[in-house]
Amino acid sequence: MSEATLPIPIGDVLRLAQPRPRWFVPGLLAGIGSAVMAVALLACSAWLITVAAEMPSLAVLGMAVVGVRAFAIFRSVFRYLERLSSHDAAFRQLAELRLGVFRRIVPIAPAGLASTGRGDLLTRLVRDVDDLQDLPLRVVQPLIVAGTTALLSVVAIWLIVPAAGLTLLVCLLLAGILGTFFSGTLAARADRELSPLRGALADEVLEIVENLDVLTAFDALGPRLEQLARTDARLRKATLRRSVGIGVQSAVVSLFAGAATLGALYFGVPALDSGGGVLSPVLLGPTVIVAVLVPMAVFEVFGMIPLAGSAWRQVRVSATRVAGVVPATVPGEIPVDVVDPQTLFTPDLTRGPVVLELTNLGACWPGQHEPGVAGVTLRLAPGDRVHLAGPSGAGKTTLAQTLVRFLDYTGSYRLNGVETRLLAQREVRRVVGLCEQRPWLFDDSIRQNLLFARDTATDAELDAVLARVGLAEWSRARGGLDARVGERGLLVSGGQAQRIALARALLADFPVLIVDEPTANVDSVGADALVRDILTAAADAHRAVLLISHTPVPDELLTARVTLPARAGTHT
Amino acid sequence: MTSPFTKAVRPLDPRLLRYAHAARRFLLVGALLGLAQTLVVIAFAWLLTRAITLTVAGEPLRTIMPTLAALAGVVVLRSALIWLLEVAANRGAAQVKSQLRAKVMAKLAERGPDWVASRQSARLSTVVTTGLDALDNYFARYLPQLLLTMIATPILIAVILSQDLISGLIVIVVIPLIPIFMILIGRVTQSVQQEQWQALQRLSTGFLGVVGGLGTLKIYGRERRQFDRIRSITEEYRTRTMTVLRVSFLSGFVLELAASLSVALIAVSIGLRLIDGALLLGVGLFVLLLAPEAFLPVRQVGAQFHAASDGLAAAEELFAILDDETTPAISRADGAAQAVQFGSGALLLDGVSVRRGETLVIDHVHAEFPPGQLSVLRGVSGVGKSTLVAALLGFVPFTGTLTLDGVTVPAGATRGWLAWAGQRPGLFRGTVAENVALGAASADHTGLDQRLVLKSLGWAGAAEVSPATVLGVNGEGLSGGQAQRVAAARAIYRAISTDCHVLILDEPSSALDSAAEAGLLVGLRRLADQGRIVIVVSHRPAVVAAADNVIELQELAHV
Repeated sequence: MSEATLPIPIGDVLRLAQPRPRWFVPGLLAGIGSAVMAVALLACSAWLITVAAEMPSLAVLGMAVVGVRAFAIFRSVFRYLERLSSHDAAFRQLAELRLGVFRRIVPIAPAGLASTGRGDLLTRLVRDVDDLQDLPLRVVQPLIVAGTTALLSVVAIWLIVPAAGLTLLVCLLLAGILGTFFSGTLAARADRELSPLRGALADEVLEIVENLDVLTAFDALGPRLEQLARTDARLRKATLRRSVGIGVQSAVVSLFAGAATLGALYFGVPALDSGGGVLSPVLLGPTVIVAVLVPMAVFEVFGMIPLAGSAWRQVRVSATRVAGVVPATVPGEIPVDVVDPQTLFTPDLTRGPVVLELTNLGACWPGQHEPGVAGVTLRLAPGDRVHLAGPSGAGKTTLAQTLVRFLDYTGSYRLNGVETRLLAQREVRRVVGLCEQRPWLFDDSIRQNLLFARDTATDAELDAVLARVGLAEWSRARGGLDARVGERGLLVSGGQAQRIALARALLADFPVLIVDEPTANVDSVGADALVRDILTAAADAHRAVLLISHTPVPDELLTARVTLPARAGTHT
Repeated sequence: MTSPFTKAVRPLDPRLLRYAHAARRFLLVGALLGLAQTLVVIAFAWLLTRAITLTVAGEPLRTIMPTLAALAGVVVLRSALIWLLEVAANRGAAQVKSQLRAKVMAKLAERGPDWVASRQSARLSTVVTTGLDALDNYFARYLPQLLLTMIATPILIAVILSQDLISGLIVIVVIPLIPIFMILIGRVTQSVQQEQWQALQRLSTGFLGVVGGLGTLKIYGRERRQFDRIRSITEEYRTRTMTVLRVSFLSGFVLELAASLSVALIAVSIGLRLIDGALLLGVGLFVLLLAPEAFLPVRQVGAQFHAASDGLAAAEELFAILDDETTPAISRADGAAQAVQFGSGALLLDGVSVRRGETLVIDHVHAEFPPGQLSVLRGVSGVGKSTLVAALLGFVPFTGTLTLDGVTVPAGATRGWLAWAGQRPGLFRGTVAENVALGAASADHTGLDQRLVLKSLGWAGAAEVSPATVLGVNGEGLSGGQAQRVAAARAIYRAISTDCHVLILDEPSSALDSAAEAGLLVGLRRLADQGRIVIVVSHRPAVVAAADNVIELQELAHV
C-alpha cells in the first residue's frame, strides 16, 4: 500500500460490527437476568438450608422454597432467550457490516484489492467480516453480563459483611486482570513462536501433497518425508514448551475464587459478634453463609471474562485485517470520477461507432513504484481485431485493467476523441468491455450468469449466444439454461468459463471488447480452438476486439498484431 | 463464530486410540488427574461445610482457623490440578497431532499420486495441517470433561448417596435425562438443519460471490444493485439460521434446567427435612455443595460439544484416509520393492488396459517404443495419454504386460528404468540446481553434479536459466515456459545420472514458443542418439515432425 492510502481505523470497523442498542439490549438484559439468577439460586439455597436448620415454622421457609424453584427455572429460560436474542442481533448487524465493508471496497475493486492478493485472500476478507460477529456475541455481551453480575454481587455482600464484599471485589479484580494478562501475553508469545513453525509445516505438507507424483517418480519422497518429520518435531517441541503457560489462566481464576470464599469466612465469622453492614446490623448465621457461598457462584459467571479476552484478540486480528484491506481513501492509482458534474462530459458513446485511441499510455498498480505498463500507443476502430502479445510482465493485464478504468493512467486514453478521465467510469465501461483472465461465475444457473449482462434477454437470445460461443451442445447436455455452474464455477472447466464470459460480453454488446488471456487456465489442446472461436464469435463490423494472449493466433482472424516490449518490473 | 450445526459423532472414536498412541497416554494421565480433582472437590466441600457449621454453632475464629488453613491448602491444590490437567491436555493434543500427521503422510506416500489426485490436494493439505488443529479444542476442553464425567460423577454420586439417600436419588434420576434429551433434541436439530442445509450453504457463500465478482459486476455496471442483494441474502441467512438455532439452543436449555432444577429440588428437600430435624445441617450443606459438582462435567461435555465436534470431524476425515484400502499400494524405491535390471532393448506394451472405477480408459493398447528413437504419443484430448503415462509410472494399476528389452516389468518394480516430466512442472522451493537434481542430491547438496545440471538445462533448451536462481513455492520466479523446461531438465538429469533407459515427457512444449521448443527437440534427439527410448506426449506439429515414430492413441467409444 502506498503512503497516500491510510487504512481505516480499527474502531470504525468494530463500530460496524456492534449491533445498535435496540437489537442488542434485549439479549443483554436476558443475559444479566440469567447470571443474576444463577448467583441468587445458590444464595437462596444456602439461606434456605441454614435457616431450616434453626427449625423455624414452615411459613418462614415458604418464600425461600418458591424463590429457589423460580431462580432455577428462570435462570435457564433467560439463558435461552439471551442466546436467541443476541444471535439474532448479531445476524441483523451482519447485513450492516457487510454493506459497510462493501460500500468501501466498491470504488477500489478490483485493482485496489489486487495488491492485497489473490482469491484466497478475498475469501479471507469475507470470512474476517463474518468473524466480526464475535464482537457482540463473545466479547461485549459476556463482559457486560459478567461485570454487572459481579458488581451487583459485590454490593450485596458488602451490605452484609463489608470486609467480605471488599475481599470479593479485590479477588475479582485480581483474577480478571491477572487471568486476562496471563492468557493474553502467554498466548501472544506462543503465537509469535509457533505461527512461523506452523506456516513452515503447512508449506511443506502442501508441497509434498501437490507434487507427490514428481517426488515418487524421482525417488525423492523418503527424504522429503524425513524433512517434514523434522519440521513437525520442531513444532511439537515448541508446542510442548508453550503448553506450560496454557493452564495458568484457569488456575489463577480458581485460586482467587477460593481466596474470595476464604476471605468471606475469615471476615464473616468475627462479624457475627460485632455486627455487619448496612443491610443487617445484627448478623445472623444464615446471612453470613450467603456471604460465604455467593463468591463461588459469582466466579462461575466470572469465568466468561478471560474467554471474552481471547475472543477479543481474535476479533481484533480480523478487524485489523479488514481495515488493512479497506483503505480510508482511494489510492492515487485508482481512478475517481470527477465530482463536479459541470466538468463531467457525457456524450452518448453508445450510439454510433467508437474509436479508442491510446497515446503514450502508462499505468501503475497501487503500492507499486514501477509503472505496470508504459508508453503504449494504439488505435482500435470498429471491425479491428488486434492480437496483443508480449512476454509475461510486459503489462498486458495492466493495460486491460486500465482500459476499463480499474486503474488510472498517464498519457492519453480517448474514446471518440474524448479523454476518458473526463468521463464517468460507468460511461467508459458501457462501451469498453473486458473478459477477465479468471472470469467470475456466480454460484447460480447459467441463465443468471448471462442475464446480468442484459437482463432483458429472452431464453432464445441466450441459447443463440451460447451457440455462438460453442456451448450449445454443452448446455443442452447439462439440462439447458437452468444448469448450475457451481461455487466459483467449480462445475465448469477453464475453457467453458471463458466461453460463458464471452457470451456475457456479447450479450452486453460492447463496441470495444478486450479479452485478457482466455487460455491461461485451459490445456494446450483446447487453447488453439478457444482462441479461434473467440475471435470468430466476437468478430463484427461495428466491434473492435483486443485479444491478449500468448497462444499463437492465425493471421486470417486478425487485422493487426501488437507486441508489448518486456519490462524490468514484473506484475501480471 | 463457530458453526451452530452439530454433527453426529461418537464421543470418543476408538480409532483415535488405535492410530495415536499419545492419546492413550493422555487418557491415563487425564484419568489420574481427574481422580485427584474429584477428591479435592470433595475435600473442599467437606472443609467448607465444617467451617460453616462451626461458624453457625458460634465458635470463635480461633477454633475455625485450622479448618480455614486446610481449606486454603485445598484451594491451592485445586488450582494446581486444574493447571496440570490443561497442560496434559495440550501436550496430548500436540503429540496426537504429530502422530496422526505422520501416519497420514505415510499413507499418501503408500497410495500414490493417482489416489491423491482423486481427492483435492488442497483439501488434503488442510486436513493434515489446520484441520488437525481443531483437535486442540477436543483435547483441551472436551476430553478432560468426558473423563471427569466418567470418574468424578460416579464418585460424587456415591458420596452424596452415602450422606443423603434422597438427594443421591434425585441426582441419579436427573443425570441420565441430560444425554437422553440431548440426543432427542440433536435429532430434531438435524432434521431442521437438513431442510435448511442447501439454502444455508448457498446463502453463506452469497457475500463471497458478490465481493469476489465485484470486478465482473463493475464491468457490467451492476455494482450498485448489489446493496439490495447483500441485504436480502443476509436477511434470509439470518431467518433461516435462527430457525435452526431455536431448536439447537434447546439442548443448552435442557442442560441448564436439569442441573439447576435438581439443585433446587435437593435444596428444598434438605430444607424441609432439616425443619423436621431428620437431617443435620452439616450433611445438608455438604450435599448441597456437591450436587452441582456432580452435574458440572456432564454440562461441560454438552457445552463443549461444538468445539469437540469440529475436531472429531477433522479426525473423521483423517481416519477415512487411513482406513481407505480401496486401491493397492504403489511401489516406491525406498520401500521393499524389488529392483530389476534391464538391458537396452525396446519398450513393449502388450494389451495394456487401464480402468478407472467402472470406466475403461485404455483398452488393450499395443505399442512398441524402439531404443535410439524419438517416439511421439498423440491422440485427441481426453483419450487417456496421461493415464497411460501414469500406468507406466506405476501410479495406476493396469492389466496386460509391459516388457523392456524382453523382460517383463513387474507391477512392484521400482522406477529406476524411467525418467519422467509431467504436464505440470511441479517445481519446489530452492535453487534451480536443487530442482534439476531432485532425488539425486541430498539436502546438504552432496551428489549434486553442477556440470550435469548445466548440461541438462542446456539439453532442455533452458540454457538461459541460471542454476543458482532461487525459486519460491510452485516454482515461483520462472515464467511458465521456463518452469516447463526446468522440469524437462530434471528428467534429463535423472536419465543421464542414473542411466535410465526410458525418458517420458508429457506435453513438454505446451507453454513454449517455437524457438524454445526447437532447443528442447535438439536435446531430446541427443538423448535418443545415446540409445535411449525417448517418448514425448504431444500434439505440437514441430514435435511430431521431429519424431521417428508416431503412435496414435485411439479414442474409446464409451457408452
